Amino acid sequence: MKKIFLSPYIILFFIALFFTQCKKSLLTIEPTIPINSVDNFYKTEAEAIAAVNATYTPLSAIYNGSAWHFGDIMSDDCDLGGGGGGDGLETAELDNFNVTPFNPIINTMWAQCYYGILRANLVIERVPLVPVMNASTRNRSIGEGRFLRALYYYHLVRVFGDIPLYTNVITADQSSTITRSSKQDVYNQIIADLKVAETLLPNTYVGDNKGRATAGTAKGLLASVYLTTGDKTNAAAKAKEVIDNKALYGYDLWTDYGDNFKLENENGKESLFEVQYRSGGGQWSDYGAGQKMNTFFAPRAQDIVQSSGYGWNVPTKNFIDTYDKSGVAYSTITDKRRNASMWIPGDTYGSYTQPASLVGSPMGLNVKKYFVPVANTLGDNGGWTCALNVPIMRYAEVLLVYAEAAGPTLGKAAIDQVRARAGLPALATGLSDAQWLTAVYKERRLEFAFEMHRWYDLLRHPDPTYFLTVMRAAGKTNIQAKHRYMPIPQGERDKNPNLTQNDGY
Amino acid sequence: MKLKVSLLCLGFFLGTFLHQAYAQNLNASGSVKSKTTGDPLVGATVNVKGTKNSVVTDASGNFSISIQKGASLVFTYTGMGAVEYKVNTATPILIQMEDANKSMNEVVVIGYGAKKRRDLSTSISSISAKEITAAPVADAAQALQGRVSGVTIVQGSGAPGGTGGTGIKIRGISSLTGTNNPLIVIDGYPLPDQQSDNVLNSFGTGEIESIDVLKDAAAASIYGVRASNGVIMITTKRGKAGKSGLTVDIYRGIQQAWQLPTMLDAREYAILNTEARIASGLTPIAKLADFNAIENQFGKGTNWMNEIFRRAAMQNVTLTATGGSDKAQYLFSAGYFKQDGILYKTDYERFNLRFNGDVKVNSKIKIGNSLSMSKFIEHGTDTYTAFNSIVLLAQTAPPTVQPRNTDGTYAGGNGSTDGFNEPNPIYQLEVPHNKNIKYRISGNIYTEINLMKELKFKAMFGGDFNYQEINNFSPATPSTGGRPFIQTGYSVQKGLYPDYLAEYTLTYDKSFWKKHKINAVAGYTFQENKYSYVVAGRGGNFTQNIPVLNDVIFRPTDISQTYNGAEDGVNSRLMSYFGRVNYDYDNRGFLGISVRRDGSSNFAPKNKFAIFPSISAAWRLSQEKFMQNIKWVDEFKMRASFGYTGNPNVAANAYLQSINQSFQYTFGNSSGSGGVVGGAAPSRSYNPDIKWEKNEQLDIGFDGSVLGNRLGFSVDVYQRRSKDLILYVAPPFVSGTYESVPFNTGTLQNRGIDISLNGKIVTHNEFNWNANAILSTYKNKVVSLGLAAPLDNGFTRITGGSLRTTQGLPANYFYGFVTEGIFQTWAEVAAHAVQTAGTDPTTSTAPGDIKFKDINGDGIINDQDRANIGNANPTFTYGLTNTFTYKNFELSVFVQGSQGNKVLNFSRWYTEGGVSNGNYSNDVIGRWTAAGTSSKMPRLTLNDPNGNNRVSDRFVEDGSYLRIKNVRFAYTIPTKWADRMKLKKTQLYLSAQNLITLTNYSGMDPEIGGGVDLGFYPQARTLLVGVTVDF
Repeated sequence: MKKIFLSPYIILFFIALFFTQCKKSLLTIEPTIPINSVDNFYKTEAEAIAAVNATYTPLSAIYNGSAWHFGDIMSDDCDLGGGGGGDGLETAELDNFNVTPFNPIINTMWAQCYYGILRANLVIERVPLVPVMNASTRNRSIGEGRFLRALYYYHLVRVFGDIPLYTNVITADQSSTITRSSKQDVYNQIIADLKVAETLLPNTYVGDNKGRATAGTAKGLLASVYLTTGDKTNAAAKAKEVIDNKALYGYDLWTDYGDNFKLENENGKESLFEVQYRSGGGQWSDYGAGQKMNTFFAPRAQDIVQSSGYGWNVPTKNFIDTYDKSGVAYSTITDKRRNASMWIPGDTYGSYTQPASLVGSPMGLNVKKYFVPVANTLGDNGGWTCALNVPIMRYAEVLLVYAEAAGPTLGKAAIDQVRARAGLPALATGLSDAQWLTAVYKERRLEFAFEMHRWYDLLRHPDPTYFLTVMRAAGKTNIQAKHRYMPIPQGERDKNPNLTQNDGY
Repeated sequence: MKLKVSLLCLGFFLGTFLHQAYAQNLNASGSVKSKTTGDPLVGATVNVKGTKNSVVTDASGNFSISIQKGASLVFTYTGMGAVEYKVNTATPILIQMEDANKSMNEVVVIGYGAKKRRDLSTSISSISAKEITAAPVADAAQALQGRVSGVTIVQGSGAPGGTGGTGIKIRGISSLTGTNNPLIVIDGYPLPDQQSDNVLNSFGTGEIESIDVLKDAAAASIYGVRASNGVIMITTKRGKAGKSGLTVDIYRGIQQAWQLPTMLDAREYAILNTEARIASGLTPIAKLADFNAIENQFGKGTNWMNEIFRRAAMQNVTLTATGGSDKAQYLFSAGYFKQDGILYKTDYERFNLRFNGDVKVNSKIKIGNSLSMSKFIEHGTDTYTAFNSIVLLAQTAPPTVQPRNTDGTYAGGNGSTDGFNEPNPIYQLEVPHNKNIKYRISGNIYTEINLMKELKFKAMFGGDFNYQEINNFSPATPSTGGRPFIQTGYSVQKGLYPDYLAEYTLTYDKSFWKKHKINAVAGYTFQENKYSYVVAGRGGNFTQNIPVLNDVIFRPTDISQTYNGAEDGVNSRLMSYFGRVNYDYDNRGFLGISVRRDGSSNFAPKNKFAIFPSISAAWRLSQEKFMQNIKWVDEFKMRASFGYTGNPNVAANAYLQSINQSFQYTFGNSSGSGGVVGGAAPSRSYNPDIKWEKNEQLDIGFDGSVLGNRLGFSVDVYQRRSKDLILYVAPPFVSGTYESVPFNTGTLQNRGIDISLNGKIVTHNEFNWNANAILSTYKNKVVSLGLAAPLDNGFTRITGGSLRTTQGLPANYFYGFVTEGIFQTWAEVAAHAVQTAGTDPTTSTAPGDIKFKDINGDGIINDQDRANIGNANPTFTYGLTNTFTYKNFELSVFVQGSQGNKVLNFSRWYTEGGVSNGNYSNDVIGRWTAAGTSSKMPRLTLNDPNGNNRVSDRFVEDGSYLRIKNVRFAYTIPTKWADRMKLKKTQLYLSAQNLITLTNYSGMDPEIGGGVDLGFYPQARTLLVGVTVDF
């Protein structure tokens, strides 16, 4: 053994070992591009803002691909329209109330809201930890996260009822086992988030930041949430806060109702919050940058919009009959809002005249609110989706929320202001509470026509069977009590055994 | 026979002297020859058994050595079985050594060592240089086809230089989402996996001494996490002591397509196109309306197959110089290979050099190196994508369209006159310049130190440097049709992909108590794989049509597309420890145990290291007393092994939750397309527990030889189970993400049998007939997909693809509709299910259309009526080599084939469906025209309202084939003539590749990688003549 120990080759062997790269640390390689990992992101102000921006992104898809199916088509305002046959089968399921848990439109609403919720949670959790960040930008960003989380939960809770509620950054395991929380818990969270958001968000933005949520947006939404939960006192108080401070937020009604829906007036004085679109170019896509309602709602195959128009979301007779008119014909409708809201036969645009009937629209009615003519797709470069924003909340809604919540005495001035712009006389004084509610409901239906509110208004009515009565009266007799809530998407239940289904599906 | 008898006589004669044997030194001399060729063996080692006393044979194969009377001499020579000879007299000794190739004494390369085949307890198959160079291929892997049982080789394409890739699958497939390529180890260096890219066509086939395939888990598990698909060990040639020489091998050949499809001629095309248009309610194309005029104007029309295919040359020169003494040996080899493709304008050219050296510094230290340098240049074209393959474009190009106008300018189809404006194949071959250049330097240096008599230390450092340059230039060139390039495009990609290796091993070898032998290896290795690339491109109106990216000099007048990119980093690091102990008892019983621990930088911190153990045992029954009486059995061994291997299949950082930066939103005044802001958020959940796929394999086998070693056999039965398969599972949307997450879930199974036989059918002094046969069969089954949904793959023209993987069936079976013949009458249409959901059958279906089976019986043919319509796995594959030698002539015939595999012939989707007024296959003449006219070929339409072209069993064909893959006839110039020319040996040969193919497959070539024929580059039939000269 001695001989071996002395051998120079043994020494050589140990020298070789010395060079050996045995360190376990070598097996840990930092991601080459640091932003590859969640733990390496959210370190700078720019990254924080990018995280907030991504939290807004799902709004484009929700409003392109889902929101109007619930708000308008399911309600007594609209029907599918379109080309008939196999055109829009999944939309027809909603229109006809034979919806199943496999419906892709339901799935879009569910999925996109949760994308937004995870992103909001990340913003709320990580932005406070960004080492160096302008204090007002940091506050604003956290406020946006709170506001958007509330907005997404508000969409979900109204469509699905009890839903999974989480405010952390959820893991894959947790997302496959989470259970549904009660509506009350969800609303509590929404209210809590909006109360934080209203304190953190700025009152106004300038330039490139226009379109982000403001303190006024948060307050307006909070008023709407209170009203939905039946808390009239708080609803009135919050709405009044906005109305009293309208100069602070720069809010007021446009003189002309139609000004709300013009490209040049985006994020204008009446706007509390709108989905921000830009020209998407190419073909229509729910997930692109552009707004597709222009293509989908325009009179079918009339070539006044890019891609000829698909004629979906056709207003019902029940809806158009709600307008006050001086004669029998629809051309005698006195409500100034009609012309900005919908096409009726005889309406013209340049050399185009709306015909008496169209494929999918036997009465020749179509939605006009999101109309951007083919000749006016500014910077659209021939694209099929347009840049026009879609309002989520207008100042008129704050007025009507206040009117409804405050009641016939205090609220009258607010509703009359909205009616006056529409060219309608002031409401009579001394209405009973029931008459008052009927009047406000009618006003909301006409004021927010095709703005995806109607279905939710029907549902939140103090009479829980109101929506059934109204819908059946409007001819949608397939509706059942279970349709108050949509089915939980089956794909989600397949992946999470703890996710129960709504009754009746 | 005569020879054997004479040897026996010699033995007997010598034996009679045994009685007189007593200690006495004498001078033993004689010569050593190859038994098969009769050539003297130069540089064979002659060792006095049990001593260090050795000499090597000289240039004539002669030796002389002093030896004690009664002692034994051991003769060894690489590639030959060792021979022991007891010396009792000074009489000249004639030793005839036999090719060890098929003999049990052959030395087999195992991971981190070598072992005699006789002593193996694992399943390893080998082929030698002779078989590797028998076929004129650029890629040595192709030489394995039909030669090694258990290995399925599919040459995915006939593109020159093997650049279309060679699919190598050992015992089926083991992964659904990761690589199924075996690990390739060249001279001890494990090459990085290059996915579908071909890894072996950088190396000259003439440099290779042997290829050993480690098939079972016990053999492969020493390579741990990379070994689940088996390991291919390539050993290159090295210099030998005392043997110097120069060998030059040159061949030249001519290649040609062995089968081309017959398309319609001009008149037939005009008739059928017009018929199809009328049936579809379309106006006939004016140009085609008058069939006689067409025939007068065009005759038979353009034969596009003849336009794009050609006879093509190939040539190869290999020069090998070796030399050496006891102290130092070297091998230098240089090669040049050039292959023109049978497809016009395609070619491949390779230069390669190798230098392998070994130096004994002193009795304790040995150092050496292996070094290979190569460069190839490939000019290729697209023959592999579904809609752009030149081969398919040429099949569908109408015969009434010309490649060129009479003035020589480019022509091609015009939408307005021909109703066809697909690219002109000739334009596509001539105008764009696609160049792929690859430099590869690959090698290692080692030092081996004998620490003690039994203990050896070896350190090896190596590198594999791949530098690749891809240039694509498509200059704007006018043409009167066929979608010419209006704008110029040029893109360049340059990348360096270096890989480094450091490896240290200790080997302990000891025999004790006479009957016990232990061989143990312990080692540590570290390997790092990096990348660095630059890519740039311009598209637009160039001022000059030259491929230069310098914007200053050649500034494009308008750059509509510009892109630049560069990235570098570490792909992966692998840190591994391994050990193996082999125990041999009395040459009878063998036991092997090995274990490897691999740590990868790609693995999650909590699963950083993977451990792969294995055990194997063998028993040579033929050594036992009870077998000694069975005279006809010479050798019989039983083996069993079980072990684990892995497939890393984890991408770098897969265990982290990544941030998706592609989100956008809009703020500010955005009435147009402005106002965009970027957003960032995770879109994929993550699995912090993600780890390698685990493969477990049980192998039971037996090897032996009988009838005086005239029939050798080896049979293996195995079961492989791949567990913890990485599959991508769609998340619940509640997670806030939508991208699928990798999970270790799912199990895949392969069960099979490998059989190889070799027989010396006739052994005679002047005439020998040897035969070699292999047969492999396996069954692949997806045992479970775990959490994952069925996987859809393949041709995606029709939603859902054409290949599907579900539980209980083989992976990637063809998934489509089942046909039930053709509707002959309207009554049949009315009685059957609605063929296209949501349509009126009276407008969407008509007699003459294909009747699809209503599998779920709901009266509607839709996606739910799709089924398993076959799969690409063969029932068995086989190879048979017969070698006949008579005097100086040698004839070898190699037959190879596959039985029971199905091919989804999707080229017929184009040629029987009439896509955009394209030409049809000749078979369409037999179409349905009226009741009873055809039960196979549907009526002609242009818009296919019934969906006759959907993926269905209509396109599934039997892909079985038997191919005379290679026939080689060689003549060795007699020694006396060669001597006169001062040459040691000269052999002339003729060889034919793909001489005859027997198949029922209707496409161009039944050998289809993946089983879906999209109109690939067909293999050529090659005839060549060559000469090998030893100086």
